[in-house]
Amino acid sequence: MLKNDRTELSYAELVRKARQQAPGRRQKFKVALLADVSTQHLAPLLRVLFASNGVDVEIYEAGYDTVELEAFDPASGLYAFEPHLVCIFQSLWKLKSLYYVFVGDRTKFSEVQAAKTEAVWKAIQSRTQAQVMQSTFVLPYERPFGNYGSRVEDTLMGAVTELNRTLSLKARALSSVFMSDIDYLAAWVGRRHFLDEKLWALSKSLCALEFLPDVAQNVVDIALATYGRGVKCVVLDLDNTIWGGVVGDDGFDGIGLGDLDDGDAFRFFQSYLLELSRRGVVLAVCSKNDEAIARRVFKEHPGMVLREEHIAVFVANWLDKATNIRHIREELNIGYDTMVFLDDNPFERNLVRQLIPEIIVPELPEDPALYVRTISELNLFETASHSSLDGQRNVLYEDQEKRDIDKSRFASLDDYLASLETTAVFSRFEPRNLSRIAQLIQRSNQFNLTTRRYSEAECVELMNDAHHFYPFSITVHDRFGKFGLINVVVLRKTPEALEIDTFLMSCRVLQRGIEQYAMNKIFDYARLCGYKRVNGRYIPTAKNMMVAGFFEKFGFDRADADEGDAGTTWHLTVADYEPREVPIRELKLPQGADHGESTQ
Amino acid sequence: MSPVEIHQKLRDVFRDVFDDPLLEITDSTTAADVEDWDSLTHINLIVAAEKTYAVSFTTKEVKALSNVGDFIRLIASRAK
Repeated sequence: MLKNDRTELSYAELVRKARQQAPGRRQKFKVALLADVSTQHLAPLLRVLFASNGVDVEIYEAGYDTVELEAFDPASGLYAFEPHLVCIFQSLWKLKSLYYVFVGDRTKFSEVQAAKTEAVWKAIQSRTQAQVMQSTFVLPYERPFGNYGSRVEDTLMGAVTELNRTLSLKARALSSVFMSDIDYLAAWVGRRHFLDEKLWALSKSLCALEFLPDVAQNVVDIALATYGRGVKCVVLDLDNTIWGGVVGDDGFDGIGLGDLDDGDAFRFFQSYLLELSRRGVVLAVCSKNDEAIARRVFKEHPGMVLREEHIAVFVANWLDKATNIRHIREELNIGYDTMVFLDDNPFERNLVRQLIPEIIVPELPEDPALYVRTISELNLFETASHSSLDGQRNVLYEDQEKRDIDKSRFASLDDYLASLETTAVFSRFEPRNLSRIAQLIQRSNQFNLTTRRYSEAECVELMNDAHHFYPFSITVHDRFGKFGLINVVVLRKTPEALEIDTFLMSCRVLQRGIEQYAMNKIFDYARLCGYKRVNGRYIPTAKNMMVAGFFEKFGFDRADADEGDAGTTWHLTVADYEPREVPIRELKLPQGADHGESTQ
Repeated sequence: MSPVEIHQKLRDVFRDVFDDPLLEITDSTTAADVEDWDSLTHINLIVAAEKTYAVSFTTKEVKALSNVGDFIRLIASRAK
């Protein structure tokens, strides 16, 4: 509770207080944070707010996105910490990506997710006396059906609503599980502006007058949709609209998709467009591009969500866009007023508006991360019917037993890891991965044994100097989606031994067997080259304490001398290394993938 | 706003975020030069600067920042 007003929650003020806070001496209340979002900004705020309520708190922050791993592993840091309260924060961001790649009947999605979360609660309850606090998911803003979505069973909005409801019902049955309604907090930000008590008292107004136009527009949207005036087609530009950069200039490997630049934002945008396509909106492409180059991205780029099969009309040439849109309209035989044109370039938008006044051309923001938000705000896709709805009704009557997904499925950590179906692609440095590799080398602080910061140019040298170096990277996927390139190793070939010059990993994939997989690869290579010994080095920094015991874990012996700032050296005879069992399936690169166009 | 003005205001933002009233910054200052400048305080810096100059940066711009000089140029390109 707040004692006076909201100023008690000023972020800047709380951060300042957190810096000045002296550690308390009373007995500590122990709070563990398990989350699929970052908790570093949250933890200091909790400390201050607990302290201002007279409670000394000790906080355990589990690694990013390790909720299940911590809960199912009896030896995890969570249980060693012996918490009084375990706070589980799960976010819409993560849930969205799970939803978009969910295979099978989407009406079961919320059931499956709720069962997984319930299994986490039960695992915690079976091993501690702690109270559990579970967050709700914030409802999404995207509505591919507009208001009509509430009548459709398999929408993201419906799935999140259902999931929140199911979690609450499950929590009711358990006395030590409490819901933390984050969606309420998000909605409050809207409600505090939308509702107007004074206007209600004076004139019985539904809401603040400022928002009454939105209410009216919503009536118009629904009415028009019932008269068949909905959007039927979205015409898409390509460069900087559905991927970052210009494929003609930056090359197949250089466009922002996947791990590169704004790749994440474009993936979400494409996933949204795919949802529109699933709901029956026709997608068309209208781009100033060489057609073969543009189509190749749809055919082969691993970061693409949209594929050629989703595009009804594909126009890539150097004619002006108005001419091309006329062509698309003729092909589809629909009215301009049922078409939306999306293009990042203001020049093209204005040209099309001038030449085809009936077509809908929304302004797009500069940051692609905001595309979906901006388009959602316009409610462009209101509809009054959905053709596959009848087919879905049957699903409701399906055998209830089938819906009861085996809830205790993830009883052990090994089962859980196996269920993730992790796959890894091992590859020597190659041109298309170098930017991401250099980025990871610059940014990794914690899981980084030597913290050698090679630039992209230096990575090129490492790649080309096969006589002295064997540099490789590992790219990981699991059944929920893509982690991307998350591990980088540089091996230095010396006459005496194979040296691990660099070994680093993104902290997003801890405890998944990736480092064991990489170490197996190092010793495979040592054996292949006939080395007798592998040497390692650990150079301590302020941030890489988590890997201080790394070599020891793999059975390396430490050399006697501590070399101060130069760290410690470790060695292991190749014959003595026992390859680790890893819950990972290895994928071979598709043929020809090594020979993609280079951006260098 | 001139680069000098932006620089002075930004220095105050840095002093505030790092809670160090004597902190000085130059165009070539990077995260390696300031103790405590990690990914956590970096986000605090960006958010505080957006508030101070009443501007909004894109995700890509924030990712591309490598030193204080970049930061000042970015603010100058955005501020009215």
